[in-house]
Amino acid sequence: MADEFVKGLGIFTGAGLAWMVLAGWYRTPSFESEQQLVSPVSLGESATMFDTLGVLLMDMFFWFTIIGALTFWVGIPVIRQAREAIEERAQ
Amino acid sequence: MTDEDTTTDDDVRADGSGIVAPDDETPTWRERKERTQGLSQLTYEYFERARREDQDLRQESDYVERDVLAFPTWPHEIIRNLAIASFFVGMLLFLSATLPPHIGDPANPSSTPAIILPDWYLYWSFGLLKLGPLNPELSILGGQKLMADRTYGVLANLVVVGFVAIVPFLNKGSARRPVEQPFWAAVGVGGVIFAFTISIYSAKNLLPMNVHLAFDLTFLLPIVGGFITWAVLKTMREGYMYDLNRRYYRLRPPK
Repeated sequence: MADEFVKGLGIFTGAGLAWMVLAGWYRTPSFESEQQLVSPVSLGESATMFDTLGVLLMDMFFWFTIIGALTFWVGIPVIRQAREAIEERAQ
Repeated sequence: MTDEDTTTDDDVRADGSGIVAPDDETPTWRERKERTQGLSQLTYEYFERARREDQDLRQESDYVERDVLAFPTWPHEIIRNLAIASFFVGMLLFLSATLPPHIGDPANPSSTPAIILPDWYLYWSFGLLKLGPLNPELSILGGQKLMADRTYGVLANLVVVGFVAIVPFLNKGSARRPVEQPFWAAVGVGGVIFAFTISIYSAKNLLPMNVHLAFDLTFLLPIVGGFITWAVLKTMREGYMYDLNRRYYRLRPPK
């Protein structure tokens, strides 16, 4: 169980950090504004392929943070518990 | 190590616990003579008795003596600390490289900001400066106050700092956990709550509540919190297993 927890925690912090950095680039107009990391994405005319890639990665990291952590903290334990319960019932 | 060595080890103990002193501690005849009179004899007897008592205590104790009381500084602690320090330095470099903050406009010295507050860790002291309602209007002075409210606030700082300084002299802190001394644990909890309430009171002009109520709560909440702590810990003492901790007391016995 502890292993699964630290896997989820590693995903949560690592991917969350990557998302925070990319959101700081593409979704933060100013660090003094009241909408930081969540304001709408605005790619200017000078956006290169790397900017488009960064926005894509930002969304990927965001969902990886949530789904990855939930997988190890909730999903896998639930599957294991269910399997144990099924085996107990079969006996 | 042969069989003969192990058998002799059982007979002669060289750790000082037997009757025979180890070779490097065996006193010379000159030392024996010096210890037979006056202050040297007194000193010798004192230290010998202290050593003997310590040895007896250790032998009849069930405390497991360990050869290693801690990890050595080098390499264990240094390597671990290097890893932790490297992580945080790396995180600082990473964040400062990827998310450099914008440098804001310079402060305008000609306009006073709407909210004036010290740094957050000085809120308690700022709150103590606002204790004007506690400053008594003395009838002997014809309803006058003995000192100005601001002087009173500064003196309140001295009182609080003085109380914090006196507490270690009133209680040496020999309790290992709060349940052992409920009263002093309650004093500590009350102090922590008072630190928070007086900090909140320091921004009383921003509080969305009655100022007089906030002032009363500032002093009532610490007392209530302290009393609840005291009552809970007193109740917990009933089921507190002192026997579990007896072995630890052998190292540092309670008063």
